[in-house]
Amino acid sequence: MPSLRLSHWTLRRQRLAAALGNGFLLAVTSLSMLAVFFIFFFIARDALPFFRLEGVREFFTSTHWYPSAGEAEFGVLAMFVGSGLVTLGATLVAVPLGIAAAVCLSDVIPFSLRQFVKPVIEMLAAIPSVAYGFFALVVFAPLLQQQGGTLLAVAAWIIGLPLATLAIVVFSDVATDRLQDRSRTAARVILMVLFGGGALAGLAWIGQALSALKIASGTNALNVSIILGIMALPTVVSVSEDALQAVGRELREGSYALGATRAETLVKTVLPAAAGGIMAAVILGVMRAIGETMVVWMASGNAARIPSPWYNMLDPVRTLTATIAGDMGEADHVTGSARYHVLFAMALCLLAFSFVCNFISEGIVRRARKKAGG
Amino acid sequence: MRLETRKLLDRSFTGSGILAITFMAAALIVLLAPMFIRGAGAIFFTATVEHRRLMLERFNRGNRPQLEAEIEAARKAREPVYRMLAAFERRLAAGDATERRQYEKQLRELKKAVQTLLGPIPGAPRPVLMRDQYGQTRWERAQVKLERALYREEWDYSDPTRSGIMHLKPRASDFTGTQLEPVFPYLEQNLNRMLLPRQTVYWQFLTDTSFDSHFFGGIWPEILGTFYLTVGAMLFALPLGLIAAIYLTEYARESRFIEILRTCISTLAGVPSIVFGLFGLAFFINTLHVSSSKSVLVGAMTLALMILPTVIRAAEEAIRAVPATYKEAALSLGAGRWHAVRTIILPAALPGILTGTVISMGRAAGETAPIIFTAAVSVGKPLALWQVFTQPTPALSWNIYNLATEHEAVDEIRHVQYGLVLILVSLVLILNLAAIFMRARISKRLRG
Repeated sequence: MPSLRLSHWTLRRQRLAAALGNGFLLAVTSLSMLAVFFIFFFIARDALPFFRLEGVREFFTSTHWYPSAGEAEFGVLAMFVGSGLVTLGATLVAVPLGIAAAVCLSDVIPFSLRQFVKPVIEMLAAIPSVAYGFFALVVFAPLLQQQGGTLLAVAAWIIGLPLATLAIVVFSDVATDRLQDRSRTAARVILMVLFGGGALAGLAWIGQALSALKIASGTNALNVSIILGIMALPTVVSVSEDALQAVGRELREGSYALGATRAETLVKTVLPAAAGGIMAAVILGVMRAIGETMVVWMASGNAARIPSPWYNMLDPVRTLTATIAGDMGEADHVTGSARYHVLFAMALCLLAFSFVCNFISEGIVRRARKKAGG
Repeated sequence: MRLETRKLLDRSFTGSGILAITFMAAALIVLLAPMFIRGAGAIFFTATVEHRRLMLERFNRGNRPQLEAEIEAARKAREPVYRMLAAFERRLAAGDATERRQYEKQLRELKKAVQTLLGPIPGAPRPVLMRDQYGQTRWERAQVKLERALYREEWDYSDPTRSGIMHLKPRASDFTGTQLEPVFPYLEQNLNRMLLPRQTVYWQFLTDTSFDSHFFGGIWPEILGTFYLTVGAMLFALPLGLIAAIYLTEYARESRFIEILRTCISTLAGVPSIVFGLFGLAFFINTLHVSSSKSVLVGAMTLALMILPTVIRAAEEAIRAVPATYKEAALSLGAGRWHAVRTIILPAALPGILTGTVISMGRAAGETAPIIFTAAVSVGKPLALWQVFTQPTPALSWNIYNLATEHEAVDEIRHVQYGLVLILVSLVLILNLAAIFMRARISKRLRG
C-alpha cells in the first residue's frame, strides 16, 4: 500500500520538522540565557586580572583613588560609599512616595481618574536618564546652590507640618482615652496646645537652621538622590500597585465588614498581605537607582572621597557607575593595565549586587504567588 | 480611639496618597517645562544679522539682495565704533611708551569683546575658527556679550580671610578723557542697529549638520545617529524577542530549565546599563572584533541586548492576552501548532506586540550608558547607510551629556543642549504616548 507508506513518511517528516522547529525556537530563546552567562563571563574575565595585579584588600578598604599616578592606587571604598549614599537617599524619596501613590492608585481614586494618572507614571519612566541628568545639572544644581537653604527649609515645613499635626492629634487622643468624658476634652485641648507649640518651635528651629545652610556646590549627593528617587518612583509605584491589586477583594471586604475604615483596612490588612510584592518593588527601585549612570555622572560632583560625616548629603560624591563611565575613556588606551581592569572589577561588583537583588525579589514574588495560589 | 480621630487618620491617609500622585505630576511638569520652553528656543529665537549672514554664506539661504542690503546697513551702523578704535590706536602708536603701556591691555580686551559681539573687525586677518568669523547670532547672547564689552570683571582680594569678591567695573572708566570714551554709550544705544534683531524660525536646526563643535548649525548627525541605533537595536531585538516569547508561551512546558531561563531573562533586565556598555566593549569589540573600534553596529547590538527582556515580556503578555478560544479553534480545524501561531495568534497579538516594541524603541533611543564605549562620538558627519558597520556616530543622548559637561564653552551653546534634550524627550514621549493610545484601543476592542 504505497499511499500508507507515503503518509508514514510524511508523518515522519512532519515530526522531524516540528522537532527541528522546536529546537530552533529553543535555541533562540536560550540566547538570552547565553547572554547572561556571557556578560558574567566577560566582565569577570577582565575583572579578575585586577585582583591578581593589585590584590583584593586595597580595592575594598582604601579610599585612595589615584589611577593615573605613577604609584597608582585603586581604593574604591569611596565609590562604594557614594553609590550607597545616593541609593539610600533615592530610596528615602522613592519608597514612601511610591507606596503612598500605589495605595492611592489601587484603592482610592476612581477608574476614570486612573486613566490620567497612569500615563504620568509612564512618562516619568520613559524620560531618558540623560535628560534627568541634564535637568539635575543645568536646572536643579544652580537652584540648590543659590537657594538651597530656603528650599530645604520650605521642604521641611511642607513635610513636617502635616506630619506633626497628625501625630499630635492622634497622640493626644490616645493619651486621654482612659479619662472621663468631661475632663477628656479639656485634657486633649491642653495636650494639643502644648505639643503644638513645641512642634511649631521645633519646626521653626529646624527651618532656621536649614535656611542658614550654605551649599558650596549644587552638584552633590542630595541633588542626585532626589532626581534618582523620582526616576525610581515609577518602578516602585507600578510594581507595588500590582502587588496590592493581587491581594484581592475578599480580604478588603472582610475588613470593611468588621467596621474598619479604609486606612485601617489598607494598613492592617492589605499592606501586610502585599508586603512581599512591595518588598520586591523596593528592591527593583534600589536596583534602578544603583545602576543608573548618567544622572550621577553629570550631577554628583564626582569627588572620590567619603563625605564627612558619611551621611552628609551636601557633599559631592562619586559612584561606581560614574567612575566606570568616566574613566574608561582614558583607560581604554591601556587595555590590560590595572587601570583598565579595575573598572571591570567595579562592574563585576555592580553585576553581583544586581544579580543578588534580582534573585531575592524573584524569590519573594514566587513565594507570594504560591501563597496566593495555594 | 475616637471615631473622629479614626476618620481623620483615614482622610490624611487618602490625602497623603493623593499628595504623592500630585507630587509625581508636579515633578513631571517641573522636569518637562524648562526642556520644552528653552528647547523651543533652539528653533524659535530672535536672530541677529550675523545669523542671516551665516545662513547666506554657508547655505545660500534667504533673499540675497535684501540680505546684502541688511548687512550693508549693519556695517554702516558699526562704522563709528571701528573708526573710534582705529583713531585711538593711531594716537597710541604716535604717543609715548608709558601711555601705550597704560592702555595696551585694556584696549586689547575691548577689541576682543567687540569682535566677539559684532564679528571680525574690518581689515583684520580672517580668523581660523568659525566661531570668530561671525558675531553673536542670537540676540540674547548678544546682550550678554554687550555687557562684557561695557564692563570688565575686577576681583577684590583686600580681605585675606575671604575669597575674592567680584566687581563689575565700567570699561569706560579705563578710557576717561580719550577719544574712546564715546564708544561705550554708542555700543549700548546702537546695538539694535548694529545687529538688526528679528524673530526667526530656524527649523533647519533639525536638518543642518553642526559647525565648529556645535557653535553653529543644527543637530542632524545626532538625530540620524539615534535613528540608526534605535532601528538597528530593534532589528536585532524584535525577532529574537518575538521568537523567545512565542516559545515561552506556546511551546515551553514548565520545567526546571524554563524556570532558569526565566530567571536569566529577569537578570538580564536588571543588569545596570553601564555594564552592558562594558560588555559590548569587551565582547563585541575586543573579542569578536565585529568592528575594529566603536561602530553603530556594535552599539545597536549592545542596545538590543539591553532591551531584549523588555521586548520578550511585552510580546509574551500580548500573546497571553489573545483569548485561548482562538488557538483552540485553529487547532481543532487541524492546523499545526506553528501554523496556528503564524496565522491566528500572531496577527491577533500584533497590536500588543507593537505597543511593547514602541516602548522599547523609546528606551533604546534614550539610553546613553551602553553606547558610550560602543558607538558614540561627540562630533561627526551624518553617516551614510553603509558606514554604520564601521563608523561611530554622534547620538542625541550622548551629545546631551557631552555638550553639557565636556564642551569647551558650555554656556555659549545652552540653546543647542536644550534643543537636543527637546528633540530626544519629545521623540521618546511621542513613542510612549503612541503606545498608550494603542493600548487603550486594544483594551477597548478586547472588552467590546
